Amino acid sequence: MLIDSNVHLGPWPFNLVPAFTARALAARLRENGIGRAIVAPTAAILAPDPGPANRALFAAVASVPALLPLPVVNPALRNWSEQLEAAASSPLRAAKLYPNYHNYRLESPRLDAFFAAALSGRVRLVVSARVEDDRHRYFGLKVTMVPAKSVGAFLGRHPRLHPLILGLGLPDIRAIAPGHANFSTDTSFIEWRNALADLVREIPARRILFGSHTPFFVTQSGVAQLAASRLTAAAAAAIGGGNAARFFEL
Amino acid sequence: MRGGCTKAAAARFAGEARSRGVVRMVCLGDVLAFGAQPTEPQVRVINDETARIGRWLPDTFIGFCALNPRLGERAVMREVERCVGGLGFRGIKLEISNNAREPCMKPVMRAAEKWGVPVLQHTWSMTNIRKRNLHSDPEDTAALARRHPNVQVIMAHLTGCGYRGVLEAKGVDNLVVDTSGGYPEAAILDFALEHLGADHVVYGSDLPIRETAITLARITGTAMSADERAKILYGNARRILKL
Repeated sequence: MLIDSNVHLGPWPFNLVPAFTARALAARLRENGIGRAIVAPTAAILAPDPGPANRALFAAVASVPALLPLPVVNPALRNWSEQLEAAASSPLRAAKLYPNYHNYRLESPRLDAFFAAALSGRVRLVVSARVEDDRHRYFGLKVTMVPAKSVGAFLGRHPRLHPLILGLGLPDIRAIAPGHANFSTDTSFIEWRNALADLVREIPARRILFGSHTPFFVTQSGVAQLAASRLTAAAAAAIGGGNAARFFEL
Repeated sequence: MRGGCTKAAAARFAGEARSRGVVRMVCLGDVLAFGAQPTEPQVRVINDETARIGRWLPDTFIGFCALNPRLGERAVMREVERCVGGLGFRGIKLEISNNAREPCMKPVMRAAEKWGVPVLQHTWSMTNIRKRNLHSDPEDTAALARRHPNVQVIMAHLTGCGYRGVLEAKGVDNLVVDTSGGYPEAAILDFALEHLGADHVVYGSDLPIRETAITLARITGTAMSADERAKILYGNARRILKL
């Protein structure tokens, strides 16, 4: 069974994906061969404070062991240390960041204290670089993808961090990888023909985690991509679950 | 296909697709090989390459004729006659030489009607892109189909057309939407089925850009009846292409 590192729970106002209950989401994932998933609360992306959405997520998945809750932290808010403390005490000991939706630059000096605290507190960081395709986002929403240049600057500024960066495309990784080895990424937006085979030429398979981006994307498509890839069995197994188990210490 | 496609590459594409169950493919030449405004000789080069690929694997590839509508009626008519009448192409493919609402589309549609072939129009929502002088928004492609009810129009790229595009296509009998293009976003195919019905959706892979396993899973991973799935994956294409 696969481990999926890029899943959300909750409705999103800009598409018509039916809102899953936690059980229905777990069932959808299971029928596609996904045994466990790292799940973030969609509501936290647009909320002024991610706390309530995090708490709702934890309550929703409490009786669904396949869904592992990943709280969202907004380090641009005054209460970031309180948020980080909550993330540190969560089962995954991890925090998810949405820089483009929460209006900060990853490489900004004003976040140095936050990242230092995350490092010293051994809180794993998961950064969402992209939730939607910029080309057809809702016309009133002016949020664009976190640029590769910003990701690179962030990784360079904090070389001791090793975040999982979700939603990068192959061109982004080609821009970032030559200068920085201190990150992992997921497969959700690696979509072109034979793209996984191309991806492992850019970064080692041990730094690639399977992500379906459910429910934004068709779950089966992400699974089919991995199944159809021309990777070695060892690389496919690592991407399909081994790397996530190691990253999140599952 | 990209320009300079070799026989081996064409065979590889065909073999990969066949391994996933895709047995026939509409082959479009490298329609952007010469930019958005190819000259008449350049259009011929594009179509000659399509014809060559079709000759290599005639049981797999079905050629569509690339055109630049802004070259005018004579050029359009000459090329359609050469490709459809002479080379056995079964459709017309339009990329980003112009907007589908422009008057230069009239000869294209007359040619399509005369030869009884469908017109595949590249379409993408221009809300965030703003290049509508060259690209066609779903609203434009739907208008084209409404103006020419005797021509079958294929509106490319369901995901790029989006929910608004589906609603633009609703009620236009001679219009189908293809599922190619973009990431495998959930819910948009469900929305198309609800509003257009399975008779108005056809499978598109976007090879060699997109991964066939992913594009097929968009269809197989979306809840629908076996009859609906059969229409999208081959039934509608068979009807439109007269296979």
